Amino acid sequence: MNDAFGILLKKELTDALRDKKTLLVMIVVPILLYPLLMTVIGVAMSLGKSRLEREPLVVAVTSDDARALLETEPVPPFTTYARLDGAQAVQRLRERKVAAVVEAPQGAAQVSTQGGQALVTVRYTKRFDASLEGLERVRRVLKTLEEKALKTRLAKAELPRDFAEPLKTEALDVDFQEDLGPFIASRLLPLVLVLMLFMGSLYPAIDVIAGERERGTLETLLVAPVNPQTVMFAKYFTVVVVSSAAALANIAVMGLTFGIGFRLDASVSAKLTFTAAQMGVMFACLIPAAFAVSAVSMGVASLAKSFKEAQSMLTPVSTLASLPGIVALMPGVELNTTTAAIPLVNVALLIKAVVLNTARPLDVAICIASVAVLAVLAMRVLSKVFAHESLRLTGASGFGEALRTLRQR
Amino acid sequence: MIRVEGLSKHFGSLRAVDGVSFAVQPGEVVGLLGANGAGKTTTLRVLAGLLAPTAGFAAIGGHDVVKAPLHARRALGFLTASTGLYERLTPREMLTTFGRLAGMDKKKLSERVKSLAHTLDLTDFIDRRCGTLSQGQRQRVSIARAIVHEPSVYVLDEPTANLDPVASSVILELVTQAARQGKAVVFSTHRMDEAEFLCTRILFMRQGQLVAEGSAQELLLKSGQRSLTASFLHYAKGGT
Repeated sequence: MNDAFGILLKKELTDALRDKKTLLVMIVVPILLYPLLMTVIGVAMSLGKSRLEREPLVVAVTSDDARALLETEPVPPFTTYARLDGAQAVQRLRERKVAAVVEAPQGAAQVSTQGGQALVTVRYTKRFDASLEGLERVRRVLKTLEEKALKTRLAKAELPRDFAEPLKTEALDVDFQEDLGPFIASRLLPLVLVLMLFMGSLYPAIDVIAGERERGTLETLLVAPVNPQTVMFAKYFTVVVVSSAAALANIAVMGLTFGIGFRLDASVSAKLTFTAAQMGVMFACLIPAAFAVSAVSMGVASLAKSFKEAQSMLTPVSTLASLPGIVALMPGVELNTTTAAIPLVNVALLIKAVVLNTARPLDVAICIASVAVLAVLAMRVLSKVFAHESLRLTGASGFGEALRTLRQR
Repeated sequence: MIRVEGLSKHFGSLRAVDGVSFAVQPGEVVGLLGANGAGKTTTLRVLAGLLAPTAGFAAIGGHDVVKAPLHARRALGFLTASTGLYERLTPREMLTTFGRLAGMDKKKLSERVKSLAHTLDLTDFIDRRCGTLSQGQRQRVSIARAIVHEPSVYVLDEPTANLDPVASSVILELVTQAARQGKAVVFSTHRMDEAEFLCTRILFMRQGQLVAEGSAQELLLKSGQRSLTASFLHYAKGGT
C-alpha cells in the first residue's frame, strides 16, 4: 500500500464511517434485523395461532342430518353451528360470516350403527385464516366420529383394529429439530446476504463519486498531487469495506440469533451454529463478491451527474440484486459445477449449501474463481470510467451517453 | 512560474479555450476576466490538471501539467469557487490529509497547520466538523487547504464569489501576502474592484481567446473607457 493510497483510504473511511446512513445500513440494520425478524415471526405465529383458537366461529350446516352428525360429539369451544340452506351458506362463507360449511347426506349420523358410507363435504376458503381454523375444528370432530364409528363396526364384526388398516404409514423426520435451523437459514441467508452486499455498497458508492461531485469535493481531491486512479481505488476499497462489513455483520448477527435459537411455537425451536470451516468458506466467497458488487455499484454510480441521478441509475441494479437470492429459494436449484459458474447466483447457492453442509470443494473453488473474475472485470470497467476525463469530472446523463462518451475516447 | 502557450481545450465542436498564451512571474498577481462562458474556468482547470489540453502547453513551476502532472500539482495551490470541504471531517483532518498527500512530513505539517490556524484564525473551530462551519469559516479552511503544502503558484477560481465583504477581505489579504512572498498568482473574478486593487496585470477572455492584456490603467487606455467595468463590457461585447 503506497502512502497516498493509505492516506486517501483513511480519509475515505473516516468520512464514510461518520455518515449515519452508512452506519445504519452497515451495522444497525443487521443487528436489529434478525433478532427482530425472528422474534416477530415467532411471536406472530404463536399469537396468531392462539388468537384463532379462541375466536368465536360460526360453522354452517346445510341439513338437519349434518347438524345431527356433528352434534353427536361435543361442540368445539368457541364454535356455533348454524342451520342454513346450501346456497345461502356458501354466500355467507364468501362474506366471511361463516367459517366453514358442512354438508352431509341423509342418515349420516346413523352410519356408525347402520353401516354404509357417508360422504361429508366441508367447504372452506383459504382467503381468510378463520376459515382454515373452522375447517380444522370440523375435521377434529369428524375424525373423532370416524374413529368411533370404525371402532363400533370392528367390535360388532369382532374384527381386530388392524383389519381396517392393512398398511400403516409413518413418516419420521429423524433429525427434525437439528434441521430446522439450517433449513430456515438456508432460505433466508442467501437472499439477505447478497442483497446486503448490494445495499451496503449502494449508498457509499453513490456518495464517494456522484455525491462528492455535487459537493465539489471531488475536484478538490483531484487537484491534489495524486494519481486519479489512486483516488478511485481508495474510494473503491472504502465501498468494499462498507459492503463487506454489512454482509459480515449479517452473518455474525444471524449466527448469533440462530446460535441462541428462536422459538417458532411451544413445541418447535430452531437452532444453528456455524463451524469455523463454514464461516471460512462463506467469507472466502463473500469478500470477492463484495469486490465485484462494489465495482458494479460504483461503476454505475460514477456515471451519474448527481446523487439523485445515481439513485435512479442504481434502482434497476438493486432490483436485480434480489434475483440471486430468489434463485437460491427455488426448489431443486442447488450448487453444482454449472451453477457455481454463474456469478452472484453462485454466491447465494454457495451460502445455501454451506448452511446445509452440502458444499463440495470443487464447486466452492469454481464459485470463488467465477466471482473473482467478475470482480476483476467490473474493476476494469470502473477504472476505464474513472480514467475518462469528462466522466470522472461530470458524469453522464444515463447509460447511453456514458457508452457514447467511452466510445469517443 | 506559470507558462501557457497556445493552449486549447475543445469539448466536441465547442472551443472552450482557443490558443491562449500568457505567463505569470513570481510576485505577480494576474486577473483573468471575462463574461460567463469566456473560458476562464476551463483555462484554470487545465492549469490544475483537471482537464487535459486539446493542444498547446501549460507549465506550473516549470513542470508540464500533462507530462509531469504530480509535480505540477505539488507546486500548485488551487482554490475553487465551491469550498469543496468534507462535511464530516474537521479542518485539522482536511489540512493534514491534503498536506500528507502533497508529501509533507508529519512534523513539518503539524507546524504548518498550527501556523495556518493562527494566520487564518481557524483555532476556535479547527476540531469541529466542517459541516457545522459558517460560510466565512469554510472559505478560510478552504484557503488553508489549498496552500497547506506551501505551493509556489496560486490558482484561484472566483475565490470571492458568494462571500460577504469580511470573508472576501481574507482572500484579498491572502493574495496580497502571497505576492509579497514571491508567489505567482492567477485568479478569475467578476469583481472589477478586486481586479483593479490586486492585479499587476489583467487578461480579458472572450469566446475562449485572450482579447486584451495589460495593467488596469493600460486597459482603460486601450479600450477608451473610464472604468474597468466599462472596459469589461467593451471587451465582452466584442470590442478590441
